[in-house]
Amino acid sequence: MKSTAVEASNYSDTKGKKAQKPKSLWGHAWTQLSRDKVAMLSLTIFALYTLVAFLSVTGLIASDWKNEVGLSYGVPSRDHWFGLDIFGRSVFAKTIKGTEVAMSVGFVVATISACIGIIFGSFAGFYGGKIDELIVWFYTVVSSVPNIMLVMAIALISGKGIHSVYLALGLTTWVNLCRLIRAEVIRHKDREYVQAAAAIGGGDFRKLFKHVLPNVFHIVIINFTLTFQIAIKSEVILSYLGLGVQGRPSWGVMINDAKLELARGYWWQLAAATFAMFFVLLALNILGDALRDSLDPKLKGK
Amino acid sequence: MPSVLLTSIVVLFAITSCFKKDADFQGKELNIAVKAQVKGMDPIYSDDRYSSTEVARVYEGLLEYHYLKRPYQLQPNLAEAMPEVTDNGLTYTFKIRKGVLFHDDAAFPGGKGRELVAEDFVFSLKRLSDPKLLGNGWWTIDGKIKGLNEWREKYNKLPQTDYTEEIEGLRALDKYTLQFKLTKPFPQFLNVLAMPFASAVAKEVADKYGKELLNHPIGTGPFKIKNGVFRQSNRIEYLKNENYRKKTYPCEASEEFSKEYLKDCGKQLPLVDRLTSHIIEETQPRWLNFLKGKVDFVEPDKDNFEGALPTGNELSPDLKAKGIQLMISPYLDITYTALNMELDLFKNNKKLRQAMLLAYNVNESNKLFYNNTGIPAQSVIPPGLKGYSKDFQNEYRGAGKAEQIAKAKELLKEAGYPDGKGLPVITYNCTSTTDAKQIGEFFQKQMAQIGINISVIQNPWPRLQEKIKNRQVMTHGIAWGADYPDAENFLQLLYGPNRAPGANGSGYDNPVYNKMFEQVAVMQDSPERTALYEKMNKMIAEEIPWIFGVHRQNTGVVHGWVTNFVQTDFEPGRSAYLSIDVEKKKALLKGL
Amino acid sequence: MNIYTYILRRLLYIFPVIIGVSFLIFILFNVVCPDPTLIMLGKHATPEQMAMLRTELGLDRPLWVQYFDILKSAFTFDFGRSWNTKQEIFQMIKNGAIPSLTFTVPGFIFSTITSLSIAVVVAFYRGKFLDKFFVVICVSMMSISSLAYILFFQWFFAYKLGMFEISGYEDGFPYFIPYVILPIIIWIILSLGYDLRFYRTVMLDEIYQDYVRTARAKGLSERVILFKHVLKNAMIPVITYVVIQIPYLILGALLIENFFGIPGLGSLVVDAINSNDFGVLKAMSILTSLAFIFFNLLSDVLYTMVDPRVRLK
Repeated sequence: MKSTAVEASNYSDTKGKKAQKPKSLWGHAWTQLSRDKVAMLSLTIFALYTLVAFLSVTGLIASDWKNEVGLSYGVPSRDHWFGLDIFGRSVFAKTIKGTEVAMSVGFVVATISACIGIIFGSFAGFYGGKIDELIVWFYTVVSSVPNIMLVMAIALISGKGIHSVYLALGLTTWVNLCRLIRAEVIRHKDREYVQAAAAIGGGDFRKLFKHVLPNVFHIVIINFTLTFQIAIKSEVILSYLGLGVQGRPSWGVMINDAKLELARGYWWQLAAATFAMFFVLLALNILGDALRDSLDPKLKGK
Repeated sequence: MPSVLLTSIVVLFAITSCFKKDADFQGKELNIAVKAQVKGMDPIYSDDRYSSTEVARVYEGLLEYHYLKRPYQLQPNLAEAMPEVTDNGLTYTFKIRKGVLFHDDAAFPGGKGRELVAEDFVFSLKRLSDPKLLGNGWWTIDGKIKGLNEWREKYNKLPQTDYTEEIEGLRALDKYTLQFKLTKPFPQFLNVLAMPFASAVAKEVADKYGKELLNHPIGTGPFKIKNGVFRQSNRIEYLKNENYRKKTYPCEASEEFSKEYLKDCGKQLPLVDRLTSHIIEETQPRWLNFLKGKVDFVEPDKDNFEGALPTGNELSPDLKAKGIQLMISPYLDITYTALNMELDLFKNNKKLRQAMLLAYNVNESNKLFYNNTGIPAQSVIPPGLKGYSKDFQNEYRGAGKAEQIAKAKELLKEAGYPDGKGLPVITYNCTSTTDAKQIGEFFQKQMAQIGINISVIQNPWPRLQEKIKNRQVMTHGIAWGADYPDAENFLQLLYGPNRAPGANGSGYDNPVYNKMFEQVAVMQDSPERTALYEKMNKMIAEEIPWIFGVHRQNTGVVHGWVTNFVQTDFEPGRSAYLSIDVEKKKALLKGL
Repeated sequence: MNIYTYILRRLLYIFPVIIGVSFLIFILFNVVCPDPTLIMLGKHATPEQMAMLRTELGLDRPLWVQYFDILKSAFTFDFGRSWNTKQEIFQMIKNGAIPSLTFTVPGFIFSTITSLSIAVVVAFYRGKFLDKFFVVICVSMMSISSLAYILFFQWFFAYKLGMFEISGYEDGFPYFIPYVILPIIIWIILSLGYDLRFYRTVMLDEIYQDYVRTARAKGLSERVILFKHVLKNAMIPVITYVVIQIPYLILGALLIENFFGIPGLGSLVVDAINSNDFGVLKAMSILTSLAFIFFNLLSDVLYTMVDPRVRLK
């Protein structure tokens, strides 16, 4: 399948533009974002999904998804909004439970990927020289091997289940962020304020964390929304290949189950998972766009 | 943009109708759906069900199973008659059928297939044993034929295998006489000869193509592959073998087959002109293609049962109206949870084992996982084999009754674990598929009823095998399908010396049972042998080294235009007997 | 730095990358993965046979020899035979390449042309209703799982409406056409969103460049600016984007191919995953990495040729 990698590189970021003072950047961004109604709606939707996922983790809702509540493949009705599945379980409850999996996959994968990307990217950009060459070589190698092979190998080694999904996707999605961060750090590290800080006498780490990283953080945020979506979508493919989440409903598993159901006219499981996924991905996409518009210094004040 | 898309779709749609390859074919054509990729067509590698079925369309062996007789009965195929067995069951002498021709191929002089001779079987079996080729079917004759293991051992170390070296137990006495000498009596040897592994391969073909024989299936069978070359793709096309020897449709059948099955009696095989195997790995397209009539029959997957068979053993009315028929026949298999009998916990604790079996509700598992089509297992031997007794009920067979749970609790108490107290957490190992996990969780639930704690561990298949072989499992869920239709194939799963890394995964080792097995394994088919089989079966039912599951059933749905269709455990060879009612197909297709 | 030195340097960089790729593959499949002989022999495995098989596969040799075998295969393309099918791996891959290309290439061309033309229109009406409309459409298309598209389209268009073949493939032009139309359509839908979004960003980036402002100040009409200047300059990122995507076309599509029964490289990979066929997985990893490296190089070189500024960095 086509990767989103290229699109993510958002090449406008890599071209030099004037630096902004951190505070005004974030402040300005928030003002702009809060003015955009669609973006705020997306943010709300995203927050709602997070809330649902959180409630589901704590067992407050949908903890009874395993229970048989009616006949096998009951059609959607007032009692069961999204109908019932093969074992007579509520598709609605499964969708909620699936939200938990999807959001956790999104969060964990995006976090892992962000951590690796920031560490490698900033070290490469900041220290340059041999370290830079080594890291560039490493991410060129990792990005050259098709992700699916890495994922497959990781799943074989660490067994199947949600942890493998976290690990496999987290370890394969960091390259783009790393590349972007590296380019940004290179641009920033010779700026006057960083130089000034160095003159006052700050260690390397201090310099890196205090002055350089805050200036590249908008890339991390934008990339986070992107990786979040990629992770949610990839979970479906992994489920299809039998490498996905085990023993609990996820959207991927539900869509995958639908391959046996649609031909018989049982469309609700496919529809429920697809729409659940659709709204959160749509929200993330719009949010990502809006964030980029408001955070990217270049597009600002157009 | 949507309009551009739409127009192009319509235009493309119009064009496509002109691109159908030979859409006007009028003869009889079978379209078969294959569920998994077909690896290649070399008999010695055909160890999975799908490849061996394809191999058997082109290749044939000495023996085969009668198409319409149950329990399965061997009959000569390339042999002229059943062999003469002498020397206390150690020597088997076959007469080979005369005038059988190989398919035409450039490997033969003049491109014309030559006549089959006894030497071809000597060559083919040596090829199966060749240490350089590592055929997947070696286990079928491993240690059985005099001199063969030594031959394999010898050439394993040398760079080149010498096929001309004579082997004592595998010789062609003359052009049409073949003789096997076995190392010990092994009555199931005849079953082995009916497997696709032991098909006749011509030396010329093997010499010419070497390892690529995989893609040049040249046999003596009823069909030949189109263009003489197999290519791994999504379809395999076969044509009727015009030079096929005289082989006709059977004129007698077991009583479970209706008169309809004998309509083609005496007709020359194969009954169709063309055969196409469509490899469709995904369930949705396979089912949709069936509903459209593009393939003639399918086996619905576990989850597809629901739609096709709402009650478990009857088709839904809309499918019936389309002339679709349902065929059910038992598989020769058993699902079970093996207990590690090398652990003191299980070994010295028959009451614990009995309690576990009592607590396991087999009916519920049958309903959940096999759509109620399975047959609850009472012991190891499945129905359809001699040694299975229809009326036998295992008194410890749990079926979800309250008194059974009570009795299980009682037994557990007697075993020293009242309400499971004092028992460690018992691990249950299974593969990583969803089904396996669900079955594991079901087992967990059932055992929890009497206070036994189970933890389910999923493993990738190779890791599970490794763990079983290294005895690192407490219990594991697994199934066994028959290699050949003889109860011996099931009873050997509990024979002590077969302990892991052999097939005996539970490590059950009982001197009394072992002795009985050694005795029965060398007996020719006889009422005494059947009686002994039954005795052993009942002994295991009481010993309970496994938590028995079910014997699964094979379910097929077939379009009305297919005739002579039977469900069989030994699918290879079936396609020659199937036929198509062309008129009926035309009529029925309109209603799809 | 002159351009030839740059190209030479980039070319030489291939070697460390290939060494790294083969090492990664070696670690994953030869060192940490479970014993493959058990998978291959199945229920009738005996220790004796496993030992023989290990010898046959070369798994009993020292690890560094196994590593050099992988590294060597990146240059000789001799991947040996598949563990599962016993077929020659290179032959399997050759057989699979064409069927994949028969639907990915038309899909790719169509998607690129459509999204590029829409991007121009959208750039022209930027910020207006039409722009927002297309952005919402393409974002929506991206927000649905590919598996859902495949399942629904196959069931609805191919089965319910009977417009296309449900699945299958026929070798040779033009016989494959009826089988690939639906896969092409799905491919387009899956990539249109990403493509359009990228091209829109490219066009907008150009539009805010200084030269556009100058041109506008000179009184040139928006239409002329767009087609004469912006589009011309935007071609650089467009071409590099296109080139970078070529390896994906060869790799095919895992799900589409499996559902539509196209015997391409995507379904080859799915089969290999399902049967733990490490040989095929290793070969596919190496070949696709080579393709990635090559086309990345090509795109870099193209970029440098048209935009010399890049080299100086």
